[in-house]
Amino acid sequence: MRHLMLSAAGLALMAGAAKADDLTLQLKWVTQAQFAGYYVAQDQGFYEEEGVNVTILPGGPDIAPTQVLAGGGADVVVEWMPAALAARERGLPLVNIAQPFKSSGMMLTCLAETGITDPATDFAGKTLGVWFSGNEYPFLSWMNTLGLSTEGGPEGVTVLKQGFNVDPLLQKQAACISTMTYNEYGQVLDAGLTEDDLITFKYEDQGVATLEDGLYVLESTLEDSEKVTSLVRFVRASMRGWEWAAENPEEAARIVLENDETGAQTLEHQTRMMSEIALLLEGSDGTLDEADYQRTVDILLAGGSDPVISAAPEGAWVSTITDRAFD
Amino acid sequence: MSALPLLGVWLGGWALNIWLARFDTRATRALVAVIFGATIVILWEMAVRIYAIPTVILPAPSQIADSFVANRSILWTDFVQTILRGALTGWVIGALAAILTAIAIDRSPFLQRGLLPIGNFVAALPIVGIAPILVMWFGFDWQSKAAVVVVMVFFPILVNMVAGLKATDPMQRDLMASWAAPYGASLWKLRLPAAMPFLFNGLKITTTLALIGAIVAEFFGSPTRGMGFRISTAVGRLDLPLVWAEIVVAALAGTLFYGLVALIEKKVTFWHPSQRT
Amino acid sequence: MTDAVLNAPAARRLRLSTGDLVPILTVLLVIMAIWYVAAIRMNATWERDQAARAGVELTLPDLVSRTLSQDRPILPTPHQVAQGLWEGVTGQPVTSRRSLVWHGWVTLSATLAGFAIGTGAGILLAVGIVHSRSMDQSVMPWAVASQTVPILAIAPMVIVVLASTGITGLLPKAVIAAWLSFFPVLVGMVKGLRTPDAMQLDQLRSWSAGRAQIFWHLRLPSSLPYLFASLKVAIAAALVGTIVAELPSGATAGLGARLLSGSYYGQTVQIWSALFAAAILAGVLVALVGLIERATLSRMGLTR
Repeated sequence: MRHLMLSAAGLALMAGAAKADDLTLQLKWVTQAQFAGYYVAQDQGFYEEEGVNVTILPGGPDIAPTQVLAGGGADVVVEWMPAALAARERGLPLVNIAQPFKSSGMMLTCLAETGITDPATDFAGKTLGVWFSGNEYPFLSWMNTLGLSTEGGPEGVTVLKQGFNVDPLLQKQAACISTMTYNEYGQVLDAGLTEDDLITFKYEDQGVATLEDGLYVLESTLEDSEKVTSLVRFVRASMRGWEWAAENPEEAARIVLENDETGAQTLEHQTRMMSEIALLLEGSDGTLDEADYQRTVDILLAGGSDPVISAAPEGAWVSTITDRAFD
Repeated sequence: MSALPLLGVWLGGWALNIWLARFDTRATRALVAVIFGATIVILWEMAVRIYAIPTVILPAPSQIADSFVANRSILWTDFVQTILRGALTGWVIGALAAILTAIAIDRSPFLQRGLLPIGNFVAALPIVGIAPILVMWFGFDWQSKAAVVVVMVFFPILVNMVAGLKATDPMQRDLMASWAAPYGASLWKLRLPAAMPFLFNGLKITTTLALIGAIVAEFFGSPTRGMGFRISTAVGRLDLPLVWAEIVVAALAGTLFYGLVALIEKKVTFWHPSQRT
Repeated sequence: MTDAVLNAPAARRLRLSTGDLVPILTVLLVIMAIWYVAAIRMNATWERDQAARAGVELTLPDLVSRTLSQDRPILPTPHQVAQGLWEGVTGQPVTSRRSLVWHGWVTLSATLAGFAIGTGAGILLAVGIVHSRSMDQSVMPWAVASQTVPILAIAPMVIVVLASTGITGLLPKAVIAAWLSFFPVLVGMVKGLRTPDAMQLDQLRSWSAGRAQIFWHLRLPSSLPYLFASLKVAIAAALVGTIVAELPSGATAGLGARLLSGSYYGQTVQIWSALFAAAILAGVLVALVGLIERATLSRMGLTR
């Protein structure tokens, strides 16, 4: 991330306008600063300089990127590793080709008045809001490591399928809800609660953080050498985009807003999101760190009766793309 | 070339039906419908196999049947949560409220003139859109789903019932009046029975609405059970056969629900010309 | 969806005489009053919690004025919704992504496409069913069953499946809209095409009219009142289908997407404005079908 890839851009220009290669990128969620790097790379012409023609498809609450990929609706998807590995175990050969996000932004935000101070002792009997559609895996792993059943009852936790907003917490329908550092947590504060009213448990601090927002393709894509070349260019340009976005959060937020068709996002919220996202990018140049991968796999394998994956995956990531991109 | 077997099956099923349809007895009529359905299912199975359609896009009927058998207990839990608790409760409350409202405003032309246009307007609205709001108000469990269903079924039944209460001839009403029948008696003996065909129309329409309302409302937040919950989360887990098994349950439940209401209708409105076959 | 609508005094459905105005306004005023009271009651909890957290006492007038002007009310007040609608419609150029007109147009175009597909399919199937006994016996039960499939719940999947075959944009939404709108048209048309009684059919046959002539000169004209009655239901159903298809499918524009993003960011005023915009759109569409119906039927001398 920190060594700027000006040289790479120069090389691309020297190579002349290679035949533009079409790639479709399916995002994990709606258009927001969480994906600023890709929108910036498109807006600032980084993709164009690399000679790749990228179409960015926004996701939504009921869009499973893995399904889109399997159906041939996209070449590359942004996905969280737990969901990707779970899909891999179900027979969909997903491969991680790059990992722009170094840290996890996931946390559980609780109302202080519920008296929860320590997850290990205080969650039993409480109601917790969780996202599904592939985002439940980190949570389930964490509950597994705590030894809590997710079937309710006084000894376990009652799980709610959280919608996409923070209302369950504001209206005390749940003691805690899932939030991302860069998004929902800010929404809770915007709604009028103060940090003193809340207590948060970051997955990073609890030692159950799993890798988020990596880039995944199908194994078959990697057998096509032309596609691999355009993937290399795509990853290189995307990382330039991330670099640029982290340095110019407000500009990046503006670019995201231009691409948001719902017109529901605000500049202020997106700028804050971008600054928080920048923290998660720190320490990654896009190359997957094997230690992080191993930690994610160990967490998913951990837990008692119902582990997310039952065996350590083989060949779930490759470094060939990032090696070529940042050589 | 690969489309030939598909075409063959289709034409075979069709020819069989044309031959069967000529008999026009109750048994052959049922058989024709079954053969048509079976042809579709066979074509689906063949298409998935011939064109090697990935399971995550469209599972084959055989996979769906396997999943149905393997996940019986999950499907039953979801059925109870969504259909019995959410849809049925909401449907009963909504229907009762609509019938009582109709009888209440039946005596007041002023209220009728005020409420009916608004009722007609609301009946045409995308009520499903209020699902996120009602989940916010009534919490995550089945109560909020029942609330969505109440609002969805109320207006269609109300409009039908009011039309039904008007469905008597002046001559019949005059006859009642000439016997000095009080309002209650004429309502009970003449106008309610006359309204039944209209009421049952409303009830039949709303059976499928109730199902859809309950399932879609679960998309906006639910406990970890229910058909809407399962459909949306199983897609995320790429367990498409389970998703389709849920859809089969929903379709079966909807058909059964509709059939039950139609059966009661036959018993109640045996005198109506539309029931003569 | 059907007989009821067909039997209702459909022709008089949208003709409001001035005599109806007073009752309607009265009912609306009562609804408004209830709405305001409900808004105060539902929004009060949050204000009380906030006051408790800040350790201040709220007087009743304070409480009321605050509940009527929250940023994230549980139930927005009518004037907040009206303001949201007004700003959504006039607050920016209609091409802006924040304009309700723009989103309304996105929804409308898919609705009309779906309505057209659904109506066409419904009429064709009805004609086939009336003329072919085998089709009647095989298709009709399944048409009823088709409506029990929770198409709305599988809308996201339909979108993904169609996208995998390269169909994106307006068409997937239109398919879902068509799925919901073909059924009322089918049932209404079957009923309508079968209205001519034996005497009329015999009359035409005695003039040695063929099947086609009977269809064009007798069946089709006599089915029109039924067709229009079900078209009103179908267009409303198409709109519902489109909005729901926009909800969970990652659609990025349209009233359904506005509902979704409003829900996602807790912008209740935005949810309600989108809802009311959809309501107005539904009302206008049904009224338009009604106008076309009156014009057509009176020209054909079919008005009852």
